[in-house]
Amino acid sequence: MAELHKLVATLRTALEAGTSEPARAQEPPAEVPLAHDAYRAELVTRFARELEAVGGRFLGILTLAETIARLVALAKNARMVAIGKGVAIDTGAIAAAIDRAGVPIMRTAPTTDPEARGAFRDRLARADMAVAEADYAIASTGTLAVLTMPSRPSSLTLLAPASVILVQIGRIVPDLAAALEAFGTDTLAAHRMTLITGPSRTADIEKRIVLGVHGPKSLDVIVVWPHDD
Amino acid sequence: MAMTAGSTPRDFFQASAAGAADHELRRKLENASARHLAHFAEVRGEFTPYEDERTAARAIKQEAIGRLDELLIDLTKRLEAHGCKVFFAANAAEAREHIVKLAQTSGAKRIVKGKSMTTEEIGLNPALEAAGMEVLETDLGEYIVQLRREPPSHIITPAIHLSKEDIGNLFREKFGIPYTPEPDELTAEARERLRESFLHADLGITGVNFAIAETGTLVVVENEGNGRMCSTLPDVFVAVMGIEKVIPKLADLPHFLEILGRTATGQKLTTYTNFIQGPRAADDLDGPRDMHVVILDNGRSAMLADPVLREALMCIRCGACLNVCPVYRHIGGHAYRSPYPGPIGSIISPNLVGSAAAHLPFASTLCGACKDVCPVKIDIPRILLHLRWKETSGPTPPEWPAAARRARAGARRFARMARHPRTMRILSRIAAAILKPVAHDGWIRRMPPPFGNWTKLRDFPRPRPRGRRAVKRQDAEG
Repeated sequence: MAELHKLVATLRTALEAGTSEPARAQEPPAEVPLAHDAYRAELVTRFARELEAVGGRFLGILTLAETIARLVALAKNARMVAIGKGVAIDTGAIAAAIDRAGVPIMRTAPTTDPEARGAFRDRLARADMAVAEADYAIASTGTLAVLTMPSRPSSLTLLAPASVILVQIGRIVPDLAAALEAFGTDTLAAHRMTLITGPSRTADIEKRIVLGVHGPKSLDVIVVWPHDD
Repeated sequence: MAMTAGSTPRDFFQASAAGAADHELRRKLENASARHLAHFAEVRGEFTPYEDERTAARAIKQEAIGRLDELLIDLTKRLEAHGCKVFFAANAAEAREHIVKLAQTSGAKRIVKGKSMTTEEIGLNPALEAAGMEVLETDLGEYIVQLRREPPSHIITPAIHLSKEDIGNLFREKFGIPYTPEPDELTAEARERLRESFLHADLGITGVNFAIAETGTLVVVENEGNGRMCSTLPDVFVAVMGIEKVIPKLADLPHFLEILGRTATGQKLTTYTNFIQGPRAADDLDGPRDMHVVILDNGRSAMLADPVLREALMCIRCGACLNVCPVYRHIGGHAYRSPYPGPIGSIISPNLVGSAAAHLPFASTLCGACKDVCPVKIDIPRILLHLRWKETSGPTPPEWPAAARRARAGARRFARMARHPRTMRILSRIAAAILKPVAHDGWIRRMPPPFGNWTKLRDFPRPRPRGRRAVKRQDAEG
């Protein structure tokens, strides 16, 4: 939570600059132009708050270099880390850094071979941390929207007990309707998509909330700032 | 206890009396309901005006049900274009047989299931087990009740009738592990055991929450991740849905997801919302090779044909009406003997499960709490009255017990009499005169047979006939 409070303080200062918030009726485009600093700041704040409310952890707004350093630190005690293909971020650099740190990694690559597919799943089932990039993040609910693609399998955000999801800052949208609009009907008719709101959870025993039933026990999210400047 | 779809009014009476007398059960239900309502109160007032969402969702469902024919065609065309095989089942038996055949032809031995009331409705598990397959319920609550060989007692929280101590004892007994009543530890145990099953299952089955006609997408909502496992890991995936699950457009969906999460579990959005359009692509790393969609009628089109009953097809199965219902909270879900208990269950069970549940519309006080809480504003009391009227307007079935037949004949005589105010007035004065000596301190506590059953459970105030003028005045005002 300390990181969140620090961020909120920064964002409040940013907001005092006085840039006016666009009206709710004007849906922002899929990529919010970088110029709308205050608006973007508000989306990130909201997203972070909602994510933490559902049991996720917000690791901050980091540049790619900082992101890599953070992931290497998170992976330190892992027996194996799975890394999916990115959406807008080059996850190759992340994989290389974790590999250099001496932690076994596995990458995703499309395959039509049933045996290779089975082998991939068996390995993935043994990974204790998996890194994926979301297509969009939804501020109003703290949700990550992730498409399934040949090198971005759905099980990447499902099987490993520790799930780390990256999202580029320009891909945070205000609400679910905006996210669905950003994907568009053609994309959703062609691919599977999952909305992820927090770690796997249940309330089936006396309505008491327990995190980490079948899916990930933890969900960490890094919002990635696109430049290293 | 085996799940018998529907039963007799006498069974219901006995089961509900047993439920009401079970103070432990009532404590559990009250606890769970209170915790649920607290979660709900936390999220209902947030950022989107809740009333507006209800109105919007209702309008969309109304449209969807009005255009069910064309929407189902659109949906099917698109699902097939995505590579799904779609099957329409007219009734439960057709659906069962089709799914058993699918499992057999694909050589499936091990089946994993996500929580689905529709598959409970068609009695799928016993059919698959009879065909020699191993069927595992993977939602934690369903897993627990399956271990007890019991049906679920709530459509969202299947094991709501069990305490954590009950579940601790169950796990100790079944798995030989040390007793623990801690939900964390019990959940971890189930995770461990079910993970292996997910990885080795041949076939996965889930229900469907919404089906988007515009894009040919099935939307499956869940919290645990077991639904994702069932629809992603096995080579064959079967989705089972009622015809009423279809909605027109992708843009309609957010309204439903927002209200479903809030009313069902007190969340702004459920943890996992899966958009499933078809089987995996040739070079995908996961997803099923074959995907089948079973679209079930089983009495729904008959509900559509009844202008009053039609409204019940808008139900999104959130369970909110169960949580507020005083009858459900006293007797528990099992007393209804249907996969759909509670107020909405009393409406849909007679139509989906059959005439054996025809007495359920009478199991309501018509207090209206269900109507107030329903996220799509279904007028449940009105439909219950409609079903009561339908049930009682025909001739009395000869198989009814004599007491029930007498009661109905008496009620009909009373109805005829009540249409004549003067006769009514005279008779009520006579009745009051007769009852006067039976009353003590203004209350009637015991009556001679055959009326004794009434006073066994409650006391009645002594009738005080009002003068003719008072009655007249009320008539004029009324």
